[in-house]
Amino acid sequence: MKTQVLKEYVDPVGKSVPRIDGRGIVTGQTKYAFDVSFPNMLVGKMLRSPHAHAKILSIDTSKAQSLPGVKAIITARDTHLIKFGSNEYFFPHTVDQMALEADKARYIGDEIAAVAAVDEETAYEALKLIDVKYEVLPAVFDIEEAIKPGAPMIHDSLNNMAVILPVNFGNPERVMKEADYVREDKFWCPVAHPAPLEPHVCVGQWETFADKITLWSSSQAPFKCREALAKTLKMDLNNVRVIKMAVGGGFGGKLEMLPMDFAACLLSKKAGSLPVKICCTREEEFISTRRKHGMIYKVKTGVKKDGTILAMTGEVLADGGAYCSYGPTVLAAAMMRIFMVYKIQHFRMTGYRVYTNNPISGAMRGFGGVQSGFAIESHMDMIANHLGMDPVEFRLKNITTPNMVTINKMVLTTNGLRECIEKACSAAGWKEKHGKQKNVCRGIGIGIAADVMGSKMYKSHESAGAIVKVEEDGSVYLFTGAADTGQGSNTALSQITAHELGVSYSRIKCKAGDTEITPFDTGSFASRVTFISGNAAMLGARDAKGQILEIVAKEHHLNVDDLDVKAEQVIFKKDGKVLMSFDKALELCYSFNYGKQIIGRGSYNPKTTPIDFRTGEGNVSGSYGFEAQIAEVEVDKETGQVKVLELWDAHDIGKAINPQSVEAQIEGSLAMGLGYTFYEDLKFKNGLVLNANFAGYRVPRSIGMPRMNTILVETNDPEGPFGAKGMGEASLLPTSAAIANALEDAIGVRIKELPLTADKIIKALKEKEAHL
Amino acid sequence: MQVQVTINGKPHTLPLNGHETLLEVLRDTLSMTGTKTACQESECGTCTVIINGKAVLSCITLAANLDGVQIRTIEGLADGDVLHPVQKAFVEQGSVQCGFCIPGMIMASTALLEKNPHPTQKEIEYALDGNICRCGGYPKIFEAIRCAAKEMAQGKKF
Repeated sequence: MKTQVLKEYVDPVGKSVPRIDGRGIVTGQTKYAFDVSFPNMLVGKMLRSPHAHAKILSIDTSKAQSLPGVKAIITARDTHLIKFGSNEYFFPHTVDQMALEADKARYIGDEIAAVAAVDEETAYEALKLIDVKYEVLPAVFDIEEAIKPGAPMIHDSLNNMAVILPVNFGNPERVMKEADYVREDKFWCPVAHPAPLEPHVCVGQWETFADKITLWSSSQAPFKCREALAKTLKMDLNNVRVIKMAVGGGFGGKLEMLPMDFAACLLSKKAGSLPVKICCTREEEFISTRRKHGMIYKVKTGVKKDGTILAMTGEVLADGGAYCSYGPTVLAAAMMRIFMVYKIQHFRMTGYRVYTNNPISGAMRGFGGVQSGFAIESHMDMIANHLGMDPVEFRLKNITTPNMVTINKMVLTTNGLRECIEKACSAAGWKEKHGKQKNVCRGIGIGIAADVMGSKMYKSHESAGAIVKVEEDGSVYLFTGAADTGQGSNTALSQITAHELGVSYSRIKCKAGDTEITPFDTGSFASRVTFISGNAAMLGARDAKGQILEIVAKEHHLNVDDLDVKAEQVIFKKDGKVLMSFDKALELCYSFNYGKQIIGRGSYNPKTTPIDFRTGEGNVSGSYGFEAQIAEVEVDKETGQVKVLELWDAHDIGKAINPQSVEAQIEGSLAMGLGYTFYEDLKFKNGLVLNANFAGYRVPRSIGMPRMNTILVETNDPEGPFGAKGMGEASLLPTSAAIANALEDAIGVRIKELPLTADKIIKALKEKEAHL
Repeated sequence: MQVQVTINGKPHTLPLNGHETLLEVLRDTLSMTGTKTACQESECGTCTVIINGKAVLSCITLAANLDGVQIRTIEGLADGDVLHPVQKAFVEQGSVQCGFCIPGMIMASTALLEKNPHPTQKEIEYALDGNICRCGGYPKIFEAIRCAAKEMAQGKKF
């Protein structure tokens, strides 16, 4: 066998290869669900309750029915009255929402009926003609009011506490007595909204004779959507197909099936199988899709003089709104994240997920971690300040370490938290700046965080699958159930596939998130895709490669275990000598003698244990990611304006599969964190959203973005694909606290209620002066 | 009624009822879905196109007023198979995340660079302040504009 020289080959893993969908996006050719259109497609619209709490006495659709151009109208009477929810596996009693409510409306925006018509104007006109008689009921909007005895009951239950979650370890009450300093704080974390730029949109078609439902969707979790559709429409899973199009942002808000998805399908059935498109207006998006939980976060910590944390107790009250959605697990995450960050042996915290007549709270990027990040990291700084300790030293004394098991049985293997803190401090010039710039009203603050990469909150397993098909011409198709919502997972998974297969990235095509074609995947949440779907893609590519090598080995009477594919060549493992090119090997597979189709199969389920929600015990993630962030601010004491000068973010991401995408995720998280810190605040009055548009609900824009420094810490996780861990949410968690801590460093005032507005700062400064 | 416009260099006669916005004409009448919208009320910049050299919001532009104008959309920016320097820079600098804002962002950036070939950071920020990127990809978008400015300054005409 002649030895060949290796061709110039770029290993895609660890390289910032361009996005696989980049050229489509920049030319406007990429198709989103928003762009899906069919001949004779109808326009669907939802009829929403104008009352926050009301009994539905009657619905008369006759006038609307007779309006020319109206093709179908549905109410609860047309449905099976089957409830859906998102935490059905762990909290079956929280399955509490119907696609179209039958008896009661529980928030302003609750879906009562739906219409399909030939155009939008007709659909809106028909909505006006539907006559619903309501009996308005007393409503409750405040979390603390809602849990009082005698509060209006929102669901048929004993009280409005939909879920009470205790997390108990050790004996905090006893140990707290031994503390040198005990501090208690109460924080308010406001309601934010994912507000993806592409609103929730779907096209549903029910081909009644073929007995088949298809939903073109902007879902982050198409398989979860399929399950909810099949359940509520009483169809077999394999008769429901959810096709995820390019998704114009999700941020947690597109994880669940919404009533509009259900309605598009059912309207289509009633309208003679014509496709029905329903697209949320921006106002509907803000009012009726899932929002971030507003939380009252109370925490009490006892420490020794030297800064050692002895015990922590607390209480979290979450404004759940009208239905449970992902609420129970968001609440759990808001409490249990602490164990990944700090070594705490004695802990007692109780979470209450409270029904109110506000819109529905659910998942949003950070999943409870943004709220706990603000509360805990602010609280930690205040403790350090009281002790006269440097906040960085205080944290370093208490943080988790590599290869440890937390009190609630989380197994932390690789853990770059210390390195993240040290690198962020060194880059930011912490020692030179902290406490030393008060004369110019400048300050610097730190926040730290950790995150999971996956979590079994959907069902008993959390597997991802991959099919890697290698065609005769050398093209490689990766089929993944993962839902790229813009984070670039199709690119990263293609890089992983190319690397494992030993071929160029340019060979890979990726088909993702089509429930009829691609393998099952739980979806894009919990920063899980690179880690879990990435492992599946790697295993799929490994299987395909094995099939090719088997034929090569057979043909050349070699041992398959001695061969590998690297840099487009079949090589001998022991000395790297080239046996033949990858293309030649494929020729052999597809030759007259063999005719062997190469179809690799990968399936990965992380080695985790589910949480026991009675105690809070469980190892939810196959590995954990860590993060330290520093903010430097300058405050104008006259106006209360805070300018964030610079942010430093050091992130243990295991290994950056695509450094450019990793940076983009971090920068995006920082931007979202800035928004939550300073202005993202969905405002309500008696259940009505007051700022349901981009003029009233401000999101980060180009002006005012501070300089962002990203520092990638690579701990090469043994369980991750080529060392990679999940990321994409962790950088959002400590931002608000890092800025609040920097604010205190600058001007000596502490704000415990987000957002950090100028008037709060002025008020705090005045109070401080009054005390002097 | 009808108006005569040029879209991406090609003349079009648009039959109108009168109330249509340019966005509706592009997306619904002409099936040019490259232009997106996220609010339909001039708050997000997603629907930005270029009319007679200026970046405008197609969601609040009445099509009936456009007789005789030159309209450029995201579909008309590339030269055959060759991406416009702004498009190329957005791909190369990793400025694309979910991508929904990107057509509008690219049109706003192109209009800026055609008027001001060497914008300062502040000028870039002001030119794009009407365009929301909810993925928060601003640093890489700024970088793309700087790169595109360099390439366009090297004399490549588009």
